[in-house]
Amino acid sequence: MPLSAIRTVAKPQNGVGAFILQCKKLEFHYCDWAGSSRGMNAFIKTNLSAFAKRNPSIEISVSPRPRKHPVIRAHYINGNQRSICVRNMSNDIVKEKAELLRDASGEKNQKYSKPVTSINESVRGIWSPFHGAKIQI
Amino acid sequence: MKRIPFSRCATQRLASSTPRRPSCIHNVAPHNHRIQWQARLQTTVATPNDGIAEMMAEVEEVPAPESTSKFPSRSPSRKPLPLEHLPSPHPRAAAQSIKLAALRSRLSLPERFPLQSLARTLVHPSADADPAFNNASLSILGANLLGYYTTEYLLCNYPRLPMDVVFAAHDAYIGPKALALIAREWGIETAAAPGGEVDPGLLQFKRLRPGSDLPAALQRQLPWKWEKTTTHKIVNTDEFGSNVKPASAHALQGTPVPVEEAAQSFVRALIGSLQLHLGTPLVKRFFRDHFLSRQLDLSSLFDFRVPTRDLSRLCAREGFEPPVARLISETGRLSRHPVFVVGIYSGKDKLGEGAGSSLQEAKIRAAAAALKAWYLYKPLEVTVPSSTENELHPKNWKPNMVDCGEVIV
Repeated sequence: MPLSAIRTVAKPQNGVGAFILQCKKLEFHYCDWAGSSRGMNAFIKTNLSAFAKRNPSIEISVSPRPRKHPVIRAHYINGNQRSICVRNMSNDIVKEKAELLRDASGEKNQKYSKPVTSINESVRGIWSPFHGAKIQI
Repeated sequence: MKRIPFSRCATQRLASSTPRRPSCIHNVAPHNHRIQWQARLQTTVATPNDGIAEMMAEVEEVPAPESTSKFPSRSPSRKPLPLEHLPSPHPRAAAQSIKLAALRSRLSLPERFPLQSLARTLVHPSADADPAFNNASLSILGANLLGYYTTEYLLCNYPRLPMDVVFAAHDAYIGPKALALIAREWGIETAAAPGGEVDPGLLQFKRLRPGSDLPAALQRQLPWKWEKTTTHKIVNTDEFGSNVKPASAHALQGTPVPVEEAAQSFVRALIGSLQLHLGTPLVKRFFRDHFLSRQLDLSSLFDFRVPTRDLSRLCAREGFEPPVARLISETGRLSRHPVFVVGIYSGKDKLGEGAGSSLQEAKIRAAAAALKAWYLYKPLEVTVPSSTENELHPKNWKPNMVDCGEVIV
């Protein structure tokens, strides 16, 4: 055989071509009795149906969690979970938190030191000492 | 649409064959491929009256799953079966499933793609042996479509690609591993065990228990000597260059399978189902968005053995002057880490260039670069054959370049 081939798998690029929202499930836990759930209960009553309609790709479940603080828990495609305790928060802030969880990628928070990361090769290429003008020392 | 005379039903009810499905004696429900998901409780072996029954006949020899043995005897006063006795979720449950609706929306599929079909693509033959309710037939269609679109993309865009690299590129885009990965990226969750009461939005398959061997149909078989040729791989087996023909999708009925196998059958079946419901243009767009948009560097797939020999054979074949390696620049020849830059020239044309820590290494790299430059040639304007489908007189068709093939040494 003059040549053989190396077997790999093509790398995914979410957003190039198709975009898949990484949040797949949102759970809203509330308490009927406790005061810390007041904002959450208002959100569930007024805003949740519109939120669900705007985000049809997210599975939404609402369940009581008696005598506990209200929690929004998000499940992501990569298998991670992320939850936010929304105690004593008003209706609008609960909505903001739900949107924050919806937009998250599910990856752990990490610091990116480089402004750009790419899987494509640099267009300019790597500097080479053997090309270009000869420098006379 | 066909009506069954009551008397005919009655005589057939006397047949000794055991029912694989609960049958209804008032079996006058319309049997039609398009609405077969509605008629789950009406499909029986005893009343073959259309294509579904014919399809079921071929799996009659397969032993019925354990759950079917619990079917009560046929009596006119039969109640609908409890859901736990069905091998896979009832199609009626699909409309209520949140997971299915979310999945359809996540994949940006239009509303006219029915949830019942989406639910059927999630049922692997290992969960439900009935071909009218599992995804085997859809996945065969989907595998063919995926192979067709990938092949025409690769062969039209890179006409000089060697056959091994074509196989590897297919494997990278639509191979078993790639499809299993794609299913995971779509957020497919698996059911712990298949059954009628399970949410239809979960992938239904019979799990392979940890530590147990793969089913015989999925095990790698050693090829015969005549099966090792490239011609055999092109003509007789799959598009990934396997030596042995892969098992049919129908062959895995009732056998436990690994998750990857079930996940890839789902992706294939989804493509087949999209083709049937939404038509070719949408499938092509879906394929472009979800499969071709993935990043694959074709130049990293090449693995040359003796590139210098290949290059001189190529130059002889194409009538170029024989390739000559010349040193372009060097540094630190006597040091611990010298670098040489070598170019390969054919006459006055530089074919390739490579850098290495020895003259030999740099020459080999330069020859490999020259060969890649030849093999990865890409025509500027390409029309793929499928772009002229459904057109009587395609106007914008331009014949594609066909190359005589890789160098044979």
